[in-house]
Amino acid sequence: MSRIRKEGKVEYRFEHPDEFREFVRDRKSRNPTDKLCSAKEAVSRFVGDGDYIVYDFSSLTRGPQSLIREVIRQKKRDLWIGAEFTLHESALLTGAGCASRIDVGFLGYGNYIGQAVCEGRVKVYEWTNGGLASRILAGARGVSFLPTRDLLGTDNLAVSAAKVIEDPYTRQPVCLVPALNPDVAFIHVHQADVRGDARIFGTNLFALEAAMASHRVIVSAEEIVSPDEFRKDPMRTTIPYFLVDAVVHAPFGAYPGAMPARYEIDLEHVDRLNAIRNDERMQEYLEENIYGVADHEEFLDKRVGAAKMKELRSRATIIEGYR
Amino acid sequence: MPRTVEFTDTEFMIAQAARLLEDGKSIFVGWGIPQIVAILAQKLYVPNVIQLFEFGAIGPQSVLPFVRGTMGGPQNTFRSLQWLNMNWAFSYSAAGYMDYGMLGALQVDPYGNINSTYLGGTFENPERRFAGSGGGNQVASHCWRTIIVIKHEGRRFVPKVEFITSPGYLSGPGAREAAGLPRNTGPYRVVTSRALFGFDERTKEMTLLSVLRGFSVEEVTRDMAFRPLIAETVTEIHPPTEDELRLLRDEIDPSRIIIRGEKMTAIA
Repeated sequence: MSRIRKEGKVEYRFEHPDEFREFVRDRKSRNPTDKLCSAKEAVSRFVGDGDYIVYDFSSLTRGPQSLIREVIRQKKRDLWIGAEFTLHESALLTGAGCASRIDVGFLGYGNYIGQAVCEGRVKVYEWTNGGLASRILAGARGVSFLPTRDLLGTDNLAVSAAKVIEDPYTRQPVCLVPALNPDVAFIHVHQADVRGDARIFGTNLFALEAAMASHRVIVSAEEIVSPDEFRKDPMRTTIPYFLVDAVVHAPFGAYPGAMPARYEIDLEHVDRLNAIRNDERMQEYLEENIYGVADHEEFLDKRVGAAKMKELRSRATIIEGYR
Repeated sequence: MPRTVEFTDTEFMIAQAARLLEDGKSIFVGWGIPQIVAILAQKLYVPNVIQLFEFGAIGPQSVLPFVRGTMGGPQNTFRSLQWLNMNWAFSYSAAGYMDYGMLGALQVDPYGNINSTYLGGTFENPERRFAGSGGGNQVASHCWRTIIVIKHEGRRFVPKVEFITSPGYLSGPGAREAAGLPRNTGPYRVVTSRALFGFDERTKEMTLLSVLRGFSVEEVTRDMAFRPLIAETVTEIHPPTEDELRLLRDEIDPSRIIIRGEKMTAIA
């Protein structure tokens, strides 16, 4: 019936939807409990070597940078990253020896990471942004794949695990991408309560889909609010508590990227990251900013500083649309 | 009185791309130069164009000056009509709502196929690795008309791209439909820092339509690694206007990070 016309042959993360459903039934609690903990505790409890990790949004905007730094600090190994707008974190995770595979997406800011790919230090598979977003949506929908009308005719097909079959309705070729149910999702948000209800202001990539599709979800939040806040304004709930495993209070958690309406991007620090072209510079950066500080709070205190944070806050002047 | 105007090749490329958009239509905007093109066009020529970004901003009216590194930040999602996410953004293009898509490219071939993934070697062992598709594949697959914006460097125009990241007409007429892509879609124009190309209705091959004032057909085609078709009448494109340059330099990119480039002159 569904004769496969073309298919990519690379390795890919996949889980039968029934297995994921059973995980959700047995291991994801619908009982609201206090999940507030430190980044150190959240990452050591919920991230393991070999895990598949996704995150929302990007290095430059509302990315879970404090959690990424904690993963590096804890020297997690053999991670597989699902990365849409991966600019610096794929470079940092590769430079720190944490990541061995990356599904992209957009493999941004070429110098260091481009070189790492050429040297074979990290494997990259091409799903494209839309393809990855569809995979996560399929994972969230409890189906094993979703059909798409892209990737078709291009060389990405061969270096993903997408398949082209005859569409039973149109009788034309259609592309199928397999569901993705990551081990862990990191989502940095504006507000959360201690149970895990979370709000993002502004656009997102697939925050709700990733939270629904992932086995474990760590939310880091600029601000902790009361659960009642969510019931007063339910239209603005991005993620409900029963998807979430840990809540980390992380002011400036997106630094050096921006948090819409809270603080602006630190272009100076971003330029330092962009300028990393070899391993020596990478290790220097990691030592200074990650290994050399105990946690996010010490990083902010010793490497960023109150004056810089004040300045970045004062530059976040656009608040219309964000509440 | 003829007047000489000075500008960069990037400014020209942005300005002539901005002149291509139609008012009252929609455009799916890619990362980088296309963002600047869309801003300039909306300010100057097409106030009712609706911009869409893959990170879920529908109809934003970017704040100026343009700040680099803000894709998805408040500056370029400002005054949107709707804030959504990636799956919904690509639903708009997949369902046929996007009239134009605009993308940059590393390499392009006569059928408008785009490579933005790697150069040299193989996929597994590339000599140089670049960002790859991002959402470019979806934009080039779904939008009715795709506009490619690319610097006019001969090595970027190759007989066959090393890796098809985003689909043009693939191997020629009918190939997109045979591959399962939405029908009647494909590359529409290739905007460069010297010239403008379209695609032959019948053979789907890249065709030189116009050149920047002061350039000959020979001058713009001699470095290209393939010989494009040449339109029966190759028209002339005027250099950037005062309004275009003023907006680009004073309002959109005063730090000149994006619009800098090779210095050029032409008769205004």
